[in-house]
Amino acid sequence: MARTRIVLAGEGGQGVQSIAKILVEAGYEAGKEILYIPNFGVEQRGGVSIAFCQIADEKIGEPRFSKGDIVIMLSDRAIDRCCTYVNENSTVIYDSSVCSKKPECKAKNIISVEANKIANEQLSARVFNIIVLGVLLSATNVLKLSDIKNAMEMALGKKFDAKPELRDLNYKALEMGMGLIEKAGV
Amino acid sequence: MVKKLITQDTRMFLTGNEVIAYAANAAEAEFMYGYPITPQNEIMHTWCKLLPKTEAGFLQTEDEISAGFSTIGGILAGKRAFTATAGPGNVIMQDAQSMAEMMRIPFVCAVMQRGGPSTATVIYAQQETRLTCFGGNGEGFRIVYSTAGHQDLYDYMIKAFNTAWKYRFPTFMLADGYQGKMREPVTLYDPASRGIKMVPVEATLGGANGSRPVNHVRNTFNLEEELMEVLDKYQEEFDRISPEIEEYLEYKADDAEVLIIAHGIVARSAMTAVDELRAKGIKAGLFRPITLRPLAVKPLRAAVARAKQVLFTESANGQLAQMVLEKIYGLQTPYSTLFKMGVGVTGDDIVQKVESMVKEPATV
Repeated sequence: MARTRIVLAGEGGQGVQSIAKILVEAGYEAGKEILYIPNFGVEQRGGVSIAFCQIADEKIGEPRFSKGDIVIMLSDRAIDRCCTYVNENSTVIYDSSVCSKKPECKAKNIISVEANKIANEQLSARVFNIIVLGVLLSATNVLKLSDIKNAMEMALGKKFDAKPELRDLNYKALEMGMGLIEKAGV
Repeated sequence: MVKKLITQDTRMFLTGNEVIAYAANAAEAEFMYGYPITPQNEIMHTWCKLLPKTEAGFLQTEDEISAGFSTIGGILAGKRAFTATAGPGNVIMQDAQSMAEMMRIPFVCAVMQRGGPSTATVIYAQQETRLTCFGGNGEGFRIVYSTAGHQDLYDYMIKAFNTAWKYRFPTFMLADGYQGKMREPVTLYDPASRGIKMVPVEATLGGANGSRPVNHVRNTFNLEEELMEVLDKYQEEFDRISPEIEEYLEYKADDAEVLIIAHGIVARSAMTAVDELRAKGIKAGLFRPITLRPLAVKPLRAAVARAKQVLFTESANGQLAQMVLEKIYGLQTPYSTLFKMGVGVTGDDIVQKVESMVKEPATV
């Protein structure tokens, strides 16, 4: 695909913009054309936080797009806000261990993952967003795992060096996230 | 003399706010005055982060009134100084901006528009178009560049300093929260490598210790006629230099049957739309004014006259359209509008609108 449009939405504080930054940095380093717009209100936490990301092989025109190819919803309010970015060509992914409802929109696919549950029960609540990043990586399928790992190193390298077990934890979260999509068979 | 950070072409992946700080350094700006307001905070954050390397200066003032007047103070003293603001900050900086018009101070300001009126959103809008062009109690003796992405931010921030210091009208780089916050690749360069020479700066009021005669700049007048004499001269000068300053971009506008008129980031969505429409056999084109003050009236009128229909589209309720309509008075081309107040306009939005105009032509 020449251009992949991603909408990544959740509650402020869930780490939506953090993983969007890693994703676009990975794309830039991989030589892709990138355009990323963070969208949020005045709150430090709470409120819907949306990242609009585009990864393309050619120069990107419109900064904002109408419909996403991949739309990720990580909270009830994100579902309410983001069905408008979905059409019959979109793949919708939502976290059923956070959301109390299923997105009711006409999409190509609607996939539920339980990133929050897995983070809490098997890894650490702090890598919830990295599991989502793994989900995103598999679902978009335009970047390589090594691209993401390099970008994570740029963003988190200092923390990793201080505590090497954090690197393993994050890598594991990333791979578990990728596995969730592979299981769903997108 | 500040130290320049960019000495050779450098490809970087930055937010627009970061680009502006780098551009100001490339333009040899010596001082920034500012007060925080989203979505332009990272201009001053980046500027400050770079200070140990650039050896430039920064003052955070108590509000935007003070930031505006402090900028004027710095410039009067002969510094290449600038400021940046947005939304309500732009509103309360109008007093200083008016003073810069009256006293012909080469004031440079980056405006990153956010939603309005009042606090509204911190995200994005094109609702400060009229304010930036005609704000304050005056006649809009201002030069306003409207940018459409990171390369523009770099190019026009550098240019804004030279325009301001050459013509001595306050000069604005009008962008928006999307451009400020978004990240995309950009090539930074040393202006000298593009043949750009920075206009030398000097103290406005005269030289230190009598090295140059005292220059009295006024913003107070006794008599009505005394004021009008000065303003008539300003207007005559503004009109005279306008052709040197006017900039615009036409995209597939030559044979366009539907001409889209848009500025800033919306013009970029329009380019995506034009390509899609052309692929569907609809002859669409774009006229993008780059300078909103002054508008490139001659080419604008020619493009509108050639087209069968015009579409105005903005993330505001027709602020540019009003300015353009006045300048195309007398032309018969009917027009339609796609205005989304404080909301981004996508390529799809424009494609759908133009398709509906082809089916059912505008009559206004």
